[in-house]
Amino acid sequence: MSSTGSSSSHSPSKARKRTNKQLKSALKKPTNSSIPTESDKPSSRTFSLWNIWVASTLLKTLLFPTYHSTDLEVHRNWLAITSTLPISKWYIENTSIWTLDYPPLFAYFEWLLTWFIPGDVVQDGILQIVKEGQGTYGLKTIVFLRITVIISEILLFVVMQWFVNIQAGVRRKTFAFIVASSVVLSPGLLIVDHIHFQYNGMLFGLMMLMIVFVQLDQSYWLALTFSVLLCFKHINLYLAPAVFVYLLRRECLDWESLKTGRVSRAVRWVNLFKLGAIVVVVFGLSFAPFIYHGVIPNVISRLFPFSRGLTHAYWAPNVWAIYSFNDKVLTSVLKVSHINKLASKFLIYIPSVENIVERLANGANNGTKGLVQDVQFTILPDITPRVCFLLTLFYDILSVVPLIVQPNFKRFVGALTLNAYASFLFGWHVHEKAIMLIIFPFTFLVNERRILKCFMVLVGAGYVSLFPLLPGQNLLKWLYTFIWFIIYFVSFMEVSKTHADSFSVRVFLFDRVALIYLIGLIPMVLMVFFMDVFKEKFEVLQKFEFVGLMIYSVYCATGVISSWVGLSWLYFFDDSIWEEEK
Amino acid sequence: MPSKQRKKPSTTPSLVFYGSAIYDFLSPFRKAQNQWAARYIVVIFAIIIRLAIGFGSYSGMGVAPMFGDFEAQRHWLEITQHLPLKDWYWYDLQYWGLDYPPLTAYHSLVLGKVGSWVHYEWFALDASRGFESEGLKSFMRFTVIISEVLIYMPAVFKFTRYNGKQIKQSPIDQTIVACAILFQPSLMIIDHGHFQYNTVMLGLTLMAIVHLLNDNYMLASIFFVLSLGFKQMALYYSPIFFFYLLGRCCDFKSSNVSFFARFNIFRLSLIAISTVLTFAVLFGPLVLFGNMANLLQSIHRIFPFQRGIFEDKVANFWCFSNIFIKYRTLFEQQQLQFISLLATLAGLLPAAIYIFFKPQKSLLPWALAVCSMSFFMFSFQVHEKTILVPLLPITLLYSTNETDIIALVAWISNIALFSLWPLLKKDGLMLQYAVLLLLPNWVMGNLSFLTPKFLPKFLTPGPSISLVSKDQKERHGLPSNWIWSLIILTSYTAVAVIHLLDFYVPPPQRYPDLWVLANVSLSFGCFGLFWLWLYYKMFTLPTTEY
Repeated sequence: MSSTGSSSSHSPSKARKRTNKQLKSALKKPTNSSIPTESDKPSSRTFSLWNIWVASTLLKTLLFPTYHSTDLEVHRNWLAITSTLPISKWYIENTSIWTLDYPPLFAYFEWLLTWFIPGDVVQDGILQIVKEGQGTYGLKTIVFLRITVIISEILLFVVMQWFVNIQAGVRRKTFAFIVASSVVLSPGLLIVDHIHFQYNGMLFGLMMLMIVFVQLDQSYWLALTFSVLLCFKHINLYLAPAVFVYLLRRECLDWESLKTGRVSRAVRWVNLFKLGAIVVVVFGLSFAPFIYHGVIPNVISRLFPFSRGLTHAYWAPNVWAIYSFNDKVLTSVLKVSHINKLASKFLIYIPSVENIVERLANGANNGTKGLVQDVQFTILPDITPRVCFLLTLFYDILSVVPLIVQPNFKRFVGALTLNAYASFLFGWHVHEKAIMLIIFPFTFLVNERRILKCFMVLVGAGYVSLFPLLPGQNLLKWLYTFIWFIIYFVSFMEVSKTHADSFSVRVFLFDRVALIYLIGLIPMVLMVFFMDVFKEKFEVLQKFEFVGLMIYSVYCATGVISSWVGLSWLYFFDDSIWEEEK
Repeated sequence: MPSKQRKKPSTTPSLVFYGSAIYDFLSPFRKAQNQWAARYIVVIFAIIIRLAIGFGSYSGMGVAPMFGDFEAQRHWLEITQHLPLKDWYWYDLQYWGLDYPPLTAYHSLVLGKVGSWVHYEWFALDASRGFESEGLKSFMRFTVIISEVLIYMPAVFKFTRYNGKQIKQSPIDQTIVACAILFQPSLMIIDHGHFQYNTVMLGLTLMAIVHLLNDNYMLASIFFVLSLGFKQMALYYSPIFFFYLLGRCCDFKSSNVSFFARFNIFRLSLIAISTVLTFAVLFGPLVLFGNMANLLQSIHRIFPFQRGIFEDKVANFWCFSNIFIKYRTLFEQQQLQFISLLATLAGLLPAAIYIFFKPQKSLLPWALAVCSMSFFMFSFQVHEKTILVPLLPITLLYSTNETDIIALVAWISNIALFSLWPLLKKDGLMLQYAVLLLLPNWVMGNLSFLTPKFLPKFLTPGPSISLVSKDQKERHGLPSNWIWSLIILTSYTAVAVIHLLDFYVPPPQRYPDLWVLANVSLSFGCFGLFWLWLYYKMFTLPTTEY
């Protein structure tokens, strides 16, 4: 598919160059007679994800017996809660620590699933409400839950197929097909949904549906989908600025009258009211039973727990990973008293050696050593949730400014991506799985070479950063990610346009550096793997038990941050990319 | 091949796999400069599927005290590195004594050393018996995969490339054929699910075949002896190798040549020398570090004639007819050995003689298939897993331009997988079995009639294939001959019925093995028919230049 796109895009320009007609026909003849090309039968070209669905489903079926995380038990517990308890108790029940902490629509979804549990799976113990780790369920429960993930993921396939179908012309269809297949085959989904266990596929289906509605220019449907998505998983609140500004600018503001100064006429109140009504109705309907039972405070406290630390046990590859890493480096440097003395001469605030030792004894900055409620830094200032929130908000606002000026499809997707970036990079207690929130919308933008480079760095770093989620399955996750990367690197290369100015292409984002970075991921992964394998053999390695994870997050954070810088640069300073294509 | 004229105009490359899913996946890479990518994609996905199968259980998992094949292999990794060579074939024979030729032992030695270096407890002498852990399982699975990637996969690509060129297949079709061979379900599930190292033996044999195709007779004989030295089951191919090489040393065509000039004594002696030398290198250490008795013991271990005529339930002639004729009560062990030897010879001799007088390269897979199939059906002491041996040359037949041959080969490889069902059920590999029943068929386009025509149009614009026009999509897994189609459909129906019975109906008290026997009978019937068809095709195969 990729090759057809490139050949049709390049051939007109080549043909124009060739002024000598005879030469042209002489060149054309042998190639035409030997190999039939697809352009001979244009009507036959259809782009279907059916085969891909079958293939990936068979692979996912083989993954049934492999490792699953506690998330499986979390979802099993939710099934049990929603099927056995009255709706008023859903957000109060706390026998297991895996309490229901997703918004109501997800709870209804779990409740819907309980309708389909066969009798022998119930016998197996899927509906036990017990303390965590004490369930006696077996393989049947696991198989049932895994099947529900596969079935719910069909939504993503359907939406992506729809996205391909609405494109006009073979070239755009080709590009859309590559985007669609890269999303549905994403190694992130394979690792997180089908091995680790979660229902992201379905949720991303809703998110992709938003993008499809923007493409179709259906703002009300967009509002509806986004509200539904929020009621499924509230982490998507991070995307709200882009959606909000897009809807406001597109439907509610009369740009022309605003320009001419008639501010009173600038707001289309009817549209604003309609959009507001949609949001209120969706939220109202989904929360209604809980309002009725008067348990809204419980729901809210479950949805927004503020008792967690800045970083997760394993640092997600974001700004705080680099920050924590720097703190660690500074700590070990400044523990040396000579350096400490020297530094305190030049810098204003340097804690003394005794101070550092004391802080270390109190357990400061041991982020990667297990679950920590609150991270304290030894040298650098501590980070509060307020700082995280303000930073995120700042970059969110920055990223929606161009959207106000140019409310088109590409700008919308770009703003969506940058919102996800801001929340991932600066957010409080970010999970490494949230990287897919960036990658998926980003995929829609990759039809330009310079964006492609940022994208490849992002997916390389992002998907590799998911590896530590799984304790084993090493070769499978490596190979799958690797081959996915190669396939889509080649495919996107063939369909993406080069920038007119080839010099700037070369200089931009130091492509060689990016390439070296990406290749460097391989030795990084292997090194950490062997450190882990031989830690029982060589005792030296046991001291560095958590270094492996730190290497992962710091190395990947570098990639994610630089891809963010690259995309932001293009987003704010290069207008040519963001115009609507004809 | 005769079908080529009737297929398509000569300007288009062959379109045998046009309707398949794998064509759909690989067609973006069909340009000559992207072919490498297509090949690597096939290899990596083949490995990924193998890894995914490997997450399932293995033979004898958690079944103390004897466990199963996994433990046997682990045990050999353990004893070969801890014991001196002279004890290998003598040590505690009751507990999985070594009963494969020395190359298996050397292979185990190398892997065992590596494994012990990683984690000592995995292969500690005696203490590690029945050791089970995730780490050990991953390591053992990995050794199978690495052996396959290094030995079997290159051989497959070399074969499809050579043969594909001879029959004028496009590069993309060659890659697809290689994919079809690599996705042989029985081999995947036995090696990576049940746990064995069959691909090493099969890969070495395939390497020998490739060298025969390239006229490297010495290398071919060396590789074949290595294959024999890994598993004695490679003997099933030996008559064909012997008679083919002999035929290549004789000249029956040219007239006016004296009797002695017809024999290429030089070539024959080179082949003989390389064969003997390889054997000497393989078995020499047994004598050098032990004594003659050691060698005899190894041979005694390798050929266990004291065992029965068949083991468990296997879809061959003896096990099938044993339902009606109770051989073990009628005959002595010695008599049975003799009868089975005669039957085997009768089964394979026509092929052997034919290839001797007509040592033609395109005949090789056919003759090998016929010969190893004869062994499987009529010889002494056959396991159900041994079907892998005839399956290798049979799957090589995928490298063709005739859709009929592809349909029949696909059918028999499904039946072969079905014949392994009782074993796989015992191993707890039901899920993997079900997936592998679908996956290769679907990859090859045999199930393309299942494309969702019932779904609304906006979901599936056009059925399965992205780039291909409608009329070329329709390739079902059935041959054009209606009798064969009927046989195939009937057998599939029977397979479905047997599975349903096995699943829902407990067998009657008097015949606890009833469903297994049904399985055996059906598989034997199909294998027999296929064997006859192989003979028919071999004799009617046109004379080609290669």
